[in-house]
Amino acid sequence: MDILNAIVALSNFVLIPAIAYGSQLALGALGVTLIYGILRFSNFAHGDTMAFGTMATILFTWALQSAGVSFGPLPTALLALPFGIAACVLAVLATDRVVYKFYREVKAKPIILVMASLGVMFIFNGIVRFIIGPDEQRFADGERFIITAREFREMTGLQEGLALKSTQGITVVTAVIVVALLFWFLNRTRTGKSMRAYSDNEDLALLSGINPERVVLVTWLIVAALATIAGVLYGLDKSFKPFTYFQLLLPIFASAIVGGLGSPLGAIAGGFVIAFSEVFVTYAWKKVLGYMLPESLEPSGLVQLLSTDYKFAVSFAILLIVLLFKPTGLFKGKAV
Amino acid sequence: MSDKVKTIGLFALVAVLIIGTGFVQSWNSALLILNLGLISAVMALGVNLQWGFAGLFNVGIMGFVALGGLAAVIVAMPPTNEAWAAGGIRVLLGLLLGAATIVGTILTYKAMAPGKIRNITLIGVLLVGFFVFRTVFDGGVEAIEAVNPSVSGYLGGLGLPVLIAWPIGGLLAAGAAWIIGKTALGLRSDYLAIATLGIAEIVIAVLKNEDWLSRGVKNVIGLPRPVPYEIDLQNDPAFVERAINLGVDPVTASTLYVKLAYSALFAVVLIVLLILAQRALHSPWGRMMRAIRDNEVAAEAMGKDVTARHLQIFVLGSAICGIAGAMMTTLDGQLVPTSYQPLRFTFLVWVMVIVGGSGNNLGAVLGGFLIWFLWVQVEPIGLWLMQTLTSGMSEGYWLRDHMLEGAAHMRLFTMGLILLLVLRFSPRGLLPEK
Amino acid sequence: MGDNPYQNDRGNKDRSITKTHGVGSTPTRKGGKATPVDGDTPFLIGEAMTGGYGKGPDILHDCTIAVNAGEIAVIVGPNGAGKSTAMKAVFGMLDVRQGRVLLDGEDITALSPQDRVQKGMGFVPQTNNIFTSMTVEENLEMGAFIRRDDIRDTMEQVYELFPILRDKRRQAAGELSGGQRQQVAVGRALMTKPKVLMLDEPTAGVSPIVMDELFDRIIEVSRTGLPILMVEQNARQALAIADKGYVLVQGANAYTGTGKELLADPEVRKSFLGG
Repeated sequence: MDILNAIVALSNFVLIPAIAYGSQLALGALGVTLIYGILRFSNFAHGDTMAFGTMATILFTWALQSAGVSFGPLPTALLALPFGIAACVLAVLATDRVVYKFYREVKAKPIILVMASLGVMFIFNGIVRFIIGPDEQRFADGERFIITAREFREMTGLQEGLALKSTQGITVVTAVIVVALLFWFLNRTRTGKSMRAYSDNEDLALLSGINPERVVLVTWLIVAALATIAGVLYGLDKSFKPFTYFQLLLPIFASAIVGGLGSPLGAIAGGFVIAFSEVFVTYAWKKVLGYMLPESLEPSGLVQLLSTDYKFAVSFAILLIVLLFKPTGLFKGKAV
Repeated sequence: MSDKVKTIGLFALVAVLIIGTGFVQSWNSALLILNLGLISAVMALGVNLQWGFAGLFNVGIMGFVALGGLAAVIVAMPPTNEAWAAGGIRVLLGLLLGAATIVGTILTYKAMAPGKIRNITLIGVLLVGFFVFRTVFDGGVEAIEAVNPSVSGYLGGLGLPVLIAWPIGGLLAAGAAWIIGKTALGLRSDYLAIATLGIAEIVIAVLKNEDWLSRGVKNVIGLPRPVPYEIDLQNDPAFVERAINLGVDPVTASTLYVKLAYSALFAVVLIVLLILAQRALHSPWGRMMRAIRDNEVAAEAMGKDVTARHLQIFVLGSAICGIAGAMMTTLDGQLVPTSYQPLRFTFLVWVMVIVGGSGNNLGAVLGGFLIWFLWVQVEPIGLWLMQTLTSGMSEGYWLRDHMLEGAAHMRLFTMGLILLLVLRFSPRGLLPEK
Repeated sequence: MGDNPYQNDRGNKDRSITKTHGVGSTPTRKGGKATPVDGDTPFLIGEAMTGGYGKGPDILHDCTIAVNAGEIAVIVGPNGAGKSTAMKAVFGMLDVRQGRVLLDGEDITALSPQDRVQKGMGFVPQTNNIFTSMTVEENLEMGAFIRRDDIRDTMEQVYELFPILRDKRRQAAGELSGGQRQQVAVGRALMTKPKVLMLDEPTAGVSPIVMDELFDRIIEVSRTGLPILMVEQNARQALAIADKGYVLVQGANAYTGTGKELLADPEVRKSFLGG
């Protein structure tokens, strides 16, 4: 019984949150890795792109709510999501038009694009704060739980409860669908393959008649969608705050690099590696160990390896360890 | 227009802007801009050294600046004797054990042959070391933080004059930079950007959490000053008399006097660093750095140790950022970990360097002043703009309120715009490298 | 320091923010239009071409290269003679300041390389000529990217020509041996159903046995009626299979003739074929 309780406690406090967070990071990292693969630079504005897409979704959510539209037990934000994605796509394509396209035409070095992305980051950051303000916004509605801790206890008779928030369920389901769609697109469709070809060998892609501007356009479309979905899922699960989204840049970059920059599979693996290590190291293990160990050995402290504020340190440490042993990341960072 | 005229002209423009602020707003605001402009210029100088002369992309400037701030606390604050007695030794011992664990792990790694046994031993060493470290360390921390937590609860500093903190801040930042550089530049391909991004967040996390060190988010206030206090000046009859003779209100005079004293100190640091940087770059060392930058393969073929040179310049540049950080905390008189934001302390410095002119020390300094001036002044300008735009709307109309509220965020937008415009139309910056 | 500030990366090689793999080097050229020409011309001819890269000095001087329908034409010459440059000029990858390029009765001098692919030129670069991370089959599919019709027949032909590729079709092309990679590269170019095939040193860096096999395959391709223009290091073997040979020296035509003639020419033998 104690073992079961330990497993339930572990799932409740570690596994489920880490899976949800990992899915959000993975979606974010996929966007970063696609830009890196196709446009050949790390987009520092990605966190703020996520913030922009989420902001747009929140605004549409509010509009729907005030019009009396709801999505039953599901959050209204899911209904607003397509509109949010559309807004984000427009913003990102406009940015590409005005900013990045020029550098492609003059064949600028990727590092120049990195610097341009810093400028874009400032602008997006300013726009988001201007429109929705710097404060925290909660926009999740509908059913809060798929199963509450109390229901679980009553159902199983266990001492420990297992709560599954609906936002966590939605996160995982959405992430699985999105990732499946993305992989199908990249590996099975003509356009997807042409993106991989362009990422692999730009010159040869040109010789094969692949139009680089079209590849770039499709990439931005996908990235804007991924960023908005990742942002909305994160915001539903936790809350939306422009600064938090900006700060997500580090774990997202870390995920993409741990997995191997430019490799979509790696981005997903990296997202989960980072999320699990963050949650594992910053979780207070007292409860789980209390069930597992005999009473005499029961720990007196919280058995928390590091305080939660050090979660960035964990992402970073994992990153360093992986790079020391596998300099190109877990999945050889090469192809999109 | 010759380069010299352009340089002088642009610096004159900055001077006019700051002096204009004095006339239009107040001399206190003007001096505030000048002082932080001087500090920004020092930061930009450090980053320019790394980017302009070695192509190293440091996105962790905030971390080095914060380490400088920590140095100010460690050097200048009076020691908390009870805290030292309660757990000082224990914390130090804990830290030593932690360091020993890491050294032990590295030694084990080097001593043993690769394989499963090594991996298990390594994990064993790390785990045992970590728990020993935590056991010793946590007790000390608890004891220290229990000492009078509302005003103290930390070890305090060494009680030395705060000016000493400036070079110490540089050293602290240099140490951190060495560790980062050694790891990130030593890898097969370099990973400096992500490494610096990470370390900056870690430094801030340490400052926020390790209350025994710098009181965490409770902030350290009342740092000793290198310049007199306003209140002392106002109580000094000689000063009051001189102020009245000059026709200035003594209270205003005292605030201006203090700020001017800071300006003088900062200016000395900036000028010394600028001269050093300029001389270094025209020395054989500087020529070698540029040779490496412009053709690394050729430089390597000539027997230059590129990684070691890169590490050197990365450490130097970060040290300068550390000095600037210590200067800034000294000016503020307090260490507030939550005030360290990447946009302000990392990316804004990048805007300064790019706008000023990568690879040109004077350009970086100019960028520091100019961008800082704009950063401060865009807000009132934005507010004015919003007021003009919304003047037709009725009082209390939601859009009017919203736009007025949002004016504060105009500065981020403006900085991005400036960066993009310069990058596009004048990619070498205002004062290009010769 | 370079002239172009956008191309000055200050030696930065930070892999965590920039990607160097697969970055293109082909300068984007705005292409013009093709114009029909009258008169009897070879199938593909670069006529009296003079030009160089960008604003750089001329590398080619009044150089003429041609290939007739159903023939193999080979460009040989010492190192640095401008062999590859001549081929790239025909393909539109450098600025031809004088002279013209004609393909199938059209003047295509103004076209960009991409437009020339559309016009039916298949080009196999010397290096980086496959998508290493993609499977063999995907490489072939990408070769046929411009086609909208059914490509299965063409793919079948390529597999018949290079049977080893059929066995390896699900394998990443980057994992193949040097000779197999070259087969993928040629196969990729064939997938467009080109009207003329241009090979830039197809046997560079492969072993002599593989080289012989590659030459056999090239002859086989040629037998399907596809004209081939080829640059080769291994002059003797290349001329042996050539209908037409061009010996270039310093960017200009030194000797021109059929393969047999050139092999027999004592001057050519002495200077370029080692006696």
